[in-house]
Amino acid sequence: MSATRHLQILALLLLLGGGAALQLRNMLVPATFGEIGTYRAAALGTNAAHPLTFPSDARCLKCHEDVQEERVESLHTVVRCVHCHGFGAEHITQATAVEVDSSVTIASAQDWDHHFPTKVDLFITYDRATCLACHQATVGMPDSFLQINVAEHLEDQGAEDVEDVNVCFECHTGHSPGL
Amino acid sequence: MDAAEFIYPNDPHVAWSIMIVLYPYITGLVAGAFVVSSLYHVFDQQVLKPVARLALVTALCFCMFATLPLLLHLHHPERAFNIMITPNATSAMAGFGFIYSFYMLLLVIEVWLVFRPDIVERVNTNHGIRRWVYLVLSLGVPRITEQSLKIDRRLIRILAVVGIPAACVLHGYVGFLFGAVKANPWWSTALMPVIFLISAVLSGIAVLLALYVFICWRHQVAPEIECLRTLVRYLWIALITAFSLEALELIHMGYEAGSEWHILRTLLTEKLAVSYVLVQVIVGSLVPLVLLSVAVIAKPSRRMTVWIACIAAVLILVQVFAMRWNVVIGGQLFSKSFRGFVEYRISWFGREGILAAAVVLMLPFIALYGANRVLPISTADDH
Amino acid sequence: MVEPSDELKISKDRSECDGCDTQCACNATHDLSPPDTNLTTGPEISNDADRRNFLKQATTITLGALSLTVLPWSRDNDDGKNVGGGSATPIVYGFLVDTEKCIGAGKCLTACRVENDVPEGYSRTWVERYIHYKDGRVEVDRVPESGYHAAGLVDIDSELIDRSYFVPKLCNHCEDAPCNQVCPVHASFTSPEGVELIDTDSCIGCAYCVQACPYGVRFVNPNTNSADKCTWCYHRITQNEKPACVEACPVDARVFGRLDDPESELNRRLAKVPHHVLREHLGTHPKLHYIGLSGEVN
Repeated sequence: MSATRHLQILALLLLLGGGAALQLRNMLVPATFGEIGTYRAAALGTNAAHPLTFPSDARCLKCHEDVQEERVESLHTVVRCVHCHGFGAEHITQATAVEVDSSVTIASAQDWDHHFPTKVDLFITYDRATCLACHQATVGMPDSFLQINVAEHLEDQGAEDVEDVNVCFECHTGHSPGL
Repeated sequence: MDAAEFIYPNDPHVAWSIMIVLYPYITGLVAGAFVVSSLYHVFDQQVLKPVARLALVTALCFCMFATLPLLLHLHHPERAFNIMITPNATSAMAGFGFIYSFYMLLLVIEVWLVFRPDIVERVNTNHGIRRWVYLVLSLGVPRITEQSLKIDRRLIRILAVVGIPAACVLHGYVGFLFGAVKANPWWSTALMPVIFLISAVLSGIAVLLALYVFICWRHQVAPEIECLRTLVRYLWIALITAFSLEALELIHMGYEAGSEWHILRTLLTEKLAVSYVLVQVIVGSLVPLVLLSVAVIAKPSRRMTVWIACIAAVLILVQVFAMRWNVVIGGQLFSKSFRGFVEYRISWFGREGILAAAVVLMLPFIALYGANRVLPISTADDH
Repeated sequence: MVEPSDELKISKDRSECDGCDTQCACNATHDLSPPDTNLTTGPEISNDADRRNFLKQATTITLGALSLTVLPWSRDNDDGKNVGGGSATPIVYGFLVDTEKCIGAGKCLTACRVENDVPEGYSRTWVERYIHYKDGRVEVDRVPESGYHAAGLVDIDSELIDRSYFVPKLCNHCEDAPCNQVCPVHASFTSPEGVELIDTDSCIGCAYCVQACPYGVRFVNPNTNSADKCTWCYHRITQNEKPACVEACPVDARVFGRLDDPESELNRRLAKVPHHVLREHLGTHPKLHYIGLSGEVN
């Protein structure tokens, strides 16, 4: 009986265990790992597959092309539809459904009113909050940006009802605000 | 600076919890205990013979549970093995799987070799299932010869030699894991691995001292006074080194007073006033420093030495825990904006709660108790 | 496992790319002009790549020696880098924030949250406001997601203020990203377009990347239990759409585009004025650039 018998068995166990571990590890390497870089290439697809929620103006203008004409020359050409009207996710879903089946009805803008400021659906359309979300004079804004101090502005312009939420639209339109 | 507080929006969620405090604490105890066992096996410190086996098995018992806090912390524990399947060579954390496995294997083999004579003896003196258990433990070779013992002893010595750098890597890398985070001025220092390593040795000696005295008390035997005195001396040296390094780091940070010093100063003096200033520095370092100095220099009576050693060891164990806490949690209490602080709220229950942490800390001791039932670990049995 | 021959093939495909499959995601860029050699980022990339390769090899050897195993794909790694960010057709996206334009309306914040399902209490992007008072104090706060007006916050007396400005924050998509460096499982990685992404199916949720990011843009998403952060809306840019926050900005304070295309709006705006990156001293080489960045901002 060799004096190193127990060590031989130990070495055998280590060898078997190590081999099994290596084999196991090689089997467990994810499918697309290392195909492009040192990562799972399929993760690129997973990241790219996330649904697009934020609607581009193009989607809106498919139906509301008249708006583009209104604002093309105005200071609001850079303003996107969603800035004032919200994501309109539900609205777009309804509009898309109409394209396929004309019997579907689209909820009118008024139905969405007072949801302001919901995150994914239409905002109220005629409310000074829509304008002031950007134009309310706030510390931090660059001087070049058109800032409104509402009280002063309304007084200067001789507005009749300074509490009226629709007051901005007596002089301005959202799509072509003018000055 | 008189600025109002401002924190980044994601910073209130303290990402590393008490489990990440426990993890370096436990691996530190492993590394420290192993170093003591190596002092006996490699450097032939015969005076440490009474605690040599205890040290080795303590290291093994703590090492067994070193991964538990990490698994409790991981948000995807079921993917834990990814760190060995697709490891990132530039990540200190990816090194963990390999370093830990290697070290655990080394510990198991060394413990097995040390206890092989006892295992073999028990194969021959037991019957039925117990005999089978010991037979499996002996790997089916229940025989000992003079020559095999000689080979085993040489192998133990080799493993103990290899184990010292392995233990240093195991724990030094934990320090590196924090020290190499340039985003965090409280962590980012090259001293971090060294500080972690020395405090690991410190905590390892302390836990052995406490365990040894406790076991002797349980068995109603007097601890070997020379062994105790040696441990006290090592503890004293480790404490002085650890404390000096930690002080050096802090003084250096404060003297350089870089752009983030203002937030660190507030962190230490206000947010960590209790856990750093009181627990880590005063109660955990200065008090034991005085106690151990008395024990080493004045050579008090046997009874007195035991008391001093015990109190100092317990205080040091608290201190090292506080140090881990102050590094891990403290480093997350300020926002990366460096303009404000966040709060770490710990719950009692849940995966990362206080109860879970207590269980994690208890398990190695329970394992040690269990191991002691199977094999003769506590030296009191030797007498 | 990728054989060397496959590697070559991929590189070749890339150089002849005329819109390949979605996985390599270069379809977003094949319509753009070929890269210019006089790029500001060009030489840096190759130097950094060399240094990274050396470091990676050094670490791999060290780890390999320690771990009984040599990582079989460590060599693929370096070649893989070249496929996207290296020699053949470097695609380098960049991002520009113009702090002189931002009005703090917060439109980008809602856009990002909705677009990317960002859970409440966490943010992939935010906008800071710095207020320099006349008495020397600097105060910082964060733009509410509904904007200051809807949040009903009382405005600060502008008489007390020297100057004030907004600073939008998002992922910097660093060239030398600390998050990638520390991720133990390659779940944080750089896409071929140089976008820092997260593989939520591999992430173990250790949060080391959260600690390593100097900019605080990372968090562990409580819904997926994986790391999460701004991807520059990878799903949009691979379909030739702008990131949601860019689309949402009413004043063009956020610009996304190719850094390696001298004709891109990004480069045209960067060319005119001094610009900086955040925490330059940390050597992360962000691809997020700022115009009008004040020294107070970190």
